[in-house]
Amino acid sequence: MDFSLSDDQLMLQQNARQFFTAQRGTRPARKAMEGDVASTKALWKQMAELGYPAITIAEAFGGAGEGFLSLVPVLEEAGRVLAPGPLPETVGFAVPLLTRLGTQAQKQQYLQGIADGSEIVTLAFYESSCDAFAGQATVTAERTAAGFRLNGQKVLVPNADLATALIVLARTTAGPAGEGLSLFIVDPKASGVQMRLQRPMDQTRPLFAVSFEQTEVGEEALIGPLDEGWTAAEEALRTLAVSLSVLSVGAMDACVEQSAEYAKTRVQFGQPIGRFQAVKHRIVDMKVNLETARSLTYYAAWALEEGSSDRHVAAADAKSFTAQAFVRVANANIQNHGGMGFTWEAEPHLYAKRAKAWENYIGSPEAHLDYIAAAQGW
Amino acid sequence: MDFSYTPQEEEFRAELRAWLKENLPPGWLEGNHKLPEDPKEEEAFLRAWQHKLADGHWAGVSWPKEYGGRGASLIEQVIYEEEMARVDAPPQVNAIGIGMIGPTIIALGTEEQKKRYVPKILNAEEVWCQGYSEPNAGSDLAALTTRATLEGDHWVVNGQKIWTSYAHLADRCFLLLRTKENPQNKHDGLTCLLVDMHQPGVEPRPIHQMNDHRDFNETFFNNAIVPKDEVLGEVNNGWYAAVVLLSFERVSVANVAFRLQQAYDGLLAYCKRHERNGRPLIQDPLVRNRLAGYHARVHAAKLNFYRNLTRQIKTGRPGPEGSMDKLYCSELLKELNGYAVSLQGAQGELWQDAEEEGKWQEEYLSSFAMTIAGGTSEIQKNIIAERMLGLPKDIKY
Repeated sequence: MDFSLSDDQLMLQQNARQFFTAQRGTRPARKAMEGDVASTKALWKQMAELGYPAITIAEAFGGAGEGFLSLVPVLEEAGRVLAPGPLPETVGFAVPLLTRLGTQAQKQQYLQGIADGSEIVTLAFYESSCDAFAGQATVTAERTAAGFRLNGQKVLVPNADLATALIVLARTTAGPAGEGLSLFIVDPKASGVQMRLQRPMDQTRPLFAVSFEQTEVGEEALIGPLDEGWTAAEEALRTLAVSLSVLSVGAMDACVEQSAEYAKTRVQFGQPIGRFQAVKHRIVDMKVNLETARSLTYYAAWALEEGSSDRHVAAADAKSFTAQAFVRVANANIQNHGGMGFTWEAEPHLYAKRAKAWENYIGSPEAHLDYIAAAQGW
Repeated sequence: MDFSYTPQEEEFRAELRAWLKENLPPGWLEGNHKLPEDPKEEEAFLRAWQHKLADGHWAGVSWPKEYGGRGASLIEQVIYEEEMARVDAPPQVNAIGIGMIGPTIIALGTEEQKKRYVPKILNAEEVWCQGYSEPNAGSDLAALTTRATLEGDHWVVNGQKIWTSYAHLADRCFLLLRTKENPQNKHDGLTCLLVDMHQPGVEPRPIHQMNDHRDFNETFFNNAIVPKDEVLGEVNNGWYAAVVLLSFERVSVANVAFRLQQAYDGLLAYCKRHERNGRPLIQDPLVRNRLAGYHARVHAAKLNFYRNLTRQIKTGRPGPEGSMDKLYCSELLKELNGYAVSLQGAQGELWQDAEEEGKWQEEYLSSFAMTIAGGTSEIQKNIIAERMLGLPKDIKY
């Protein structure tokens, strides 16, 4: 029984802390809010040079060949500063999916590319007709002589303007939700692909509506077995859910630190406001939420790495709790900062917006709770 | 990170399980967990159970082997708590003696005191109580006013304690009181005395609690006599001994975390067994959703505890994280029991005649003490704020 990060993992965490501090904390996130894609691209390049996207990629494809737990320290630090870019989609979804189901050629192109920083992958899953995250898709991929032809529109695609590849869930055979769907990896510059910015509350993560009009892709674009895309995606989506939880834990840690720091220095009625229990105890509630989310998230990461039988439930525990805890913590952080708390210049609103954005991303808390219940046979 | 146990730890668990199967009171494993209703019979039952545990060396597993314990590691102590919670074993009547007072005597007592008191603790030959809180010294413990004056070869004690668990059955009391005129501050001039409860100057009066139990007492000291050398640690330096004693409270939090798991498992079973509007409660979408939320939160209680335990093992000392465990577990246990009663709908207002013989009402009414006894939730929050987050100390007078 040992519930702690290893020395190597702690070293990675220190290294990542130094790196993101050197980027001046949330400055890259604020650059992204201004629409500065080049800045996010430059940050990604530096992260790739430090080997962050490569941590869980096999050595054969230029990665470090580590388990998922080794990703935890880096994601947590990235979360603390709300680092922009589709880091969770790339390392939390594309890497495990391609590692498990990619062809040798796909691995060589994409895993190798992710490891060296030349490939940035994002997710084109949502459609405007389904707000809940379910295995539904109206985007179609018809068979052609050379491969497939995509038609339809995806929404809420993070960082589509930065990404070099989109993983698209499309219908290949008529059927109910979850069936007859397939996964494709598509170049956003392919013909017939158009993207339009969907202005989000959380401007640090630009979202796009991506439409496909007679977009032709080759046979090699198909990931995993035809018509079984949803099943293939599900396992990787659990990893993505845990990745989002880890990033959220990092962000919550920053919120607790900000509130504690402010409460120690802001003086009213002749004393630091942290002496008033109404404030002091609220910060403790934030801390308890943070540490509880961290426990569930680390455990889920461990369960994923070990492939233990409760890993899906552990992921759902972590995502459902953390998503809600992040909202509570980030909102309380605003309240603790008083008038400063709701200004554009102060940090808290960045975190509150991220929390709300991720509350329902990759499954609402209720959807994850429903999964837990179903998994117990209730 | 590794959530598995070593073969030695698994063996410890297996040995305990086997012993419990053999030695729990008749019918206990089959689900009859009722203690005798008559107070005298209850006392005899509890003392006998304690004695049996001691015979099997399962009374004070953390104690050194030379004192009748097993020298169990922290992990083994946690396994012990987990297994005892799993079978909902009868309480240890001398829990305070075993958990806190015995280890404190071993740590700070004279050879004479160790020889005289320690061997009688594990088998409940002498049951101990702890005299700390007073009517006007609860969360602010150092405001206590019970005092002792030295008259020749003995101390004369006067004052009143409150919330003394099991004082009505206790043979001895670990008593914190004042021994100095004009102390420099409120922590100065305190002393810990080891007091014989069987004397005319000591009178415990059981407190009738909202759950109809009488586990706590008011204890009155009216010219009670204590031999001069029955001081634990140094005279006027009793705050130190008092704090040492509280430091042994550490693993008892594990007990709450595992009780939480038990309560949750019980609630699930209840929801599968009972129907509302023609279907099992567990199939009601609202109930299902809420139970799934508890699944995560109850699991987290154990994970939080394990994470803090790891830190404690690595640093070699307990930290303020214990306050977080206590706060989290007790608040959640209270919520869970309240929900169990709510699930019974209008019938939930019944008590002894409620479903399952009022088990949930009993738990619900008992859970209010959880967020107060052993340091209120507010005190835990102050500890977390000041020691983990570096926030300013509360205004103190």
